[in-house]
Amino acid sequence: MWLWRVKPWGLAPRGLKWKGGLLSPPVLLPLRPVSGCRAPSVTATALVNYWAQLFEERGVPEARESSEYIVAHVLGAKTFQSLLASQRSTSITDLQREQIGELCTQRLQRMPVQYIIGEWDFQGLTLKMAPPVFIPRPETEELVNLVLHEEFQRCQERRGRGTLDHQPHCSPVILDVCCGSGAIALSLLSRLTQSRVVAVDKGEEAVQLTRENAQRLHLENRIQIVHHDITSGVNREQLLPWGPVDFVVSNPPYIFHCDMEQLAPEILSYEDTESLDGGKDGMRVIREILSQAPMLLKDSGSIFLEVDPRHPELVGNWLQSRPDLALSISATHVDFCGKPRFLHIHKSRSCQ
Amino acid sequence: MRSSLMLRAVRYLWARGALLRPPSRPVSSGSPQLEELFASGGAMRSFLERLAGPGVQGPELAMAAQRLREKEQELRETERLLEDENEDLRKLAEKEILSCQKELTKLKQKIILLLIPSEETDENDLILELTSGVGGQEAMLFTAEMFDMYQRYATYKKWHFEILEYFPSEIGGLRHASASIGGPEAYRHMKFEGGVHRVQRVPKTEKQGRMHTSTMTVAVLPQPTEINLVINRKDLRIETKRASGAGGQHVNTTDSAVRIVHLPTGVATECQQERSQIKNKEIAMKKLRAKLYSMQLEEETNKRYNARKIQIGTKGRSEKIRTYHFPQNRVTDHRIRKSLYDIQSFMLGECLLDELVQSLKEYADYESITEVISEKC
Repeated sequence: MWLWRVKPWGLAPRGLKWKGGLLSPPVLLPLRPVSGCRAPSVTATALVNYWAQLFEERGVPEARESSEYIVAHVLGAKTFQSLLASQRSTSITDLQREQIGELCTQRLQRMPVQYIIGEWDFQGLTLKMAPPVFIPRPETEELVNLVLHEEFQRCQERRGRGTLDHQPHCSPVILDVCCGSGAIALSLLSRLTQSRVVAVDKGEEAVQLTRENAQRLHLENRIQIVHHDITSGVNREQLLPWGPVDFVVSNPPYIFHCDMEQLAPEILSYEDTESLDGGKDGMRVIREILSQAPMLLKDSGSIFLEVDPRHPELVGNWLQSRPDLALSISATHVDFCGKPRFLHIHKSRSCQ
Repeated sequence: MRSSLMLRAVRYLWARGALLRPPSRPVSSGSPQLEELFASGGAMRSFLERLAGPGVQGPELAMAAQRLREKEQELRETERLLEDENEDLRKLAEKEILSCQKELTKLKQKIILLLIPSEETDENDLILELTSGVGGQEAMLFTAEMFDMYQRYATYKKWHFEILEYFPSEIGGLRHASASIGGPEAYRHMKFEGGVHRVQRVPKTEKQGRMHTSTMTVAVLPQPTEINLVINRKDLRIETKRASGAGGQHVNTTDSAVRIVHLPTGVATECQQERSQIKNKEIAMKKLRAKLYSMQLEEETNKRYNARKIQIGTKGRSEKIRTYHFPQNRVTDHRIRKSLYDIQSFMLGECLLDELVQSLKEYADYESITEVISEKC
């Protein structure tokens, strides 16, 4: 019987750093042996179940998903669903057990899974993730699709008008404000193989991470990464190495300040709050971007913003109060949950 | 009546194995099967004679038939020269006859190729779905082995193979899985794999050494192109775990599973294979399109090919098509009554599986030729 009671994580979490009421070490759960009474061997499936249950008991959100992602990661796969039958049922090595135990202990302390495994996928890319740089959310993948869609349409229009001779390739110059890990900038670069991107962030860690991700994906030749705080004023020289841009794309901090304290511990204790907190009405950085955009954009250029569902109206009103900017919302797009999430803003030609 | 007779005749030849060899090409040069198909007085002859009448057929086919008649006339005339007294002339005639025969074989092959109707979907990519059937854990173990076989077959054929979903059982078996396969003529080869596959052996899980019979099902769905199938976005409902709450920057979720429901038909697909939600959505969409398309095709196919026995695509998904008999080391395809030995090599998904697939393809080609001929008689 004792054979069945072997700790599946291989070792007790070292230097127990439980916060608050989490002082007791994980309870030993009897694991059903795989077959007969042979030496203790634990399969990936059994480990996933074990940690999922423990997470559940400790109130860690997405208990099963977290456990699956961590086990899959240690076994060299991206998702547990992509592990083949044979991989799930062969026994885990001691080293793997130890690694899983260490990573799961971090999850018990509510560290986001993306930081724990050090990477996440965005569009078709695998990006390195490191605290405290903002972890890209799935909505932003749709923002990238909107930009791509717009660019393909422009290309077709140009082709239709036969003016492509002057521009042999569809090669837009794009400015990504608040680039974080580089998710937007790099996924655009990987899809628009002739384009160039200027990525700017005020955080030193974000700039570093974007640079590292660009190098990993071999996209560093077409990206200019700038360490600059957009709220500190315009810096045309740094932001426009290739002249005025075709698109300004941004997922700026847009959470209303009063909502900040309701965020989950994963976000509040690990992610840079500067990349989330949009001030009183969530518009602090949005207003900066819109104020500077007319100086950064080509005449035919446009802006794509990810915002809070309350923002389309607020931004519309604000733009009306600033006719000097000559900007207008040309479309509001909903995200996959049906919430108005993306703004497409044009430079209005009448005021050129 | 007439067509059923002809079908029976061709099947008889197939059952005898007369039409089976060689596996690598649809019609071998000057093989007995080709000659039998073109035997005088046969269905093919009367079909070609009708072609000589006021041209209703495609010009290419009529021209080939015309050339065939001319060449055969030429051959008959040359053959008379073999009895000539002049030795030189006889030798010349022999040479002439050889080249004539070669030409005739080529023409016959051409006619056959022109007669095989190519399906709209033959060049498409496809989605392969495997589901374990009767037999519990043993059926799931066999399903896992079948999945590996098809994955290796795709590698062998240099096709692209991408796992879309994979639901294993506890002991290393497979409940259900699907994969996307793409490459030259992938669907044309794989479409005959759809149906119920039966395994007979003593399972690993069996303690008393008794032989079990278990089954698993393969479905092969052609992947529609943008033109083949148009889906209205308004007909779709997309479900994710993020649906409730503020979304966006307010939440950090890792559950990227996506489910898509096609409201008019109620058909739903889902994917949680990827970490990126938009990738999961793309895959779920791919599966949905393949499902809707095969429903549409099934309807059309049922109308068009009622007489045909061999399975195409998802038609006859419930029919038992093949048995894997381990004690006898034998794989038998029931549709063409062909048996191959050495199961282990077969399950490697290389030349043996390919040989069987080719045989099935040829059989289907001959069936469709007979059908075409009888339709037009």
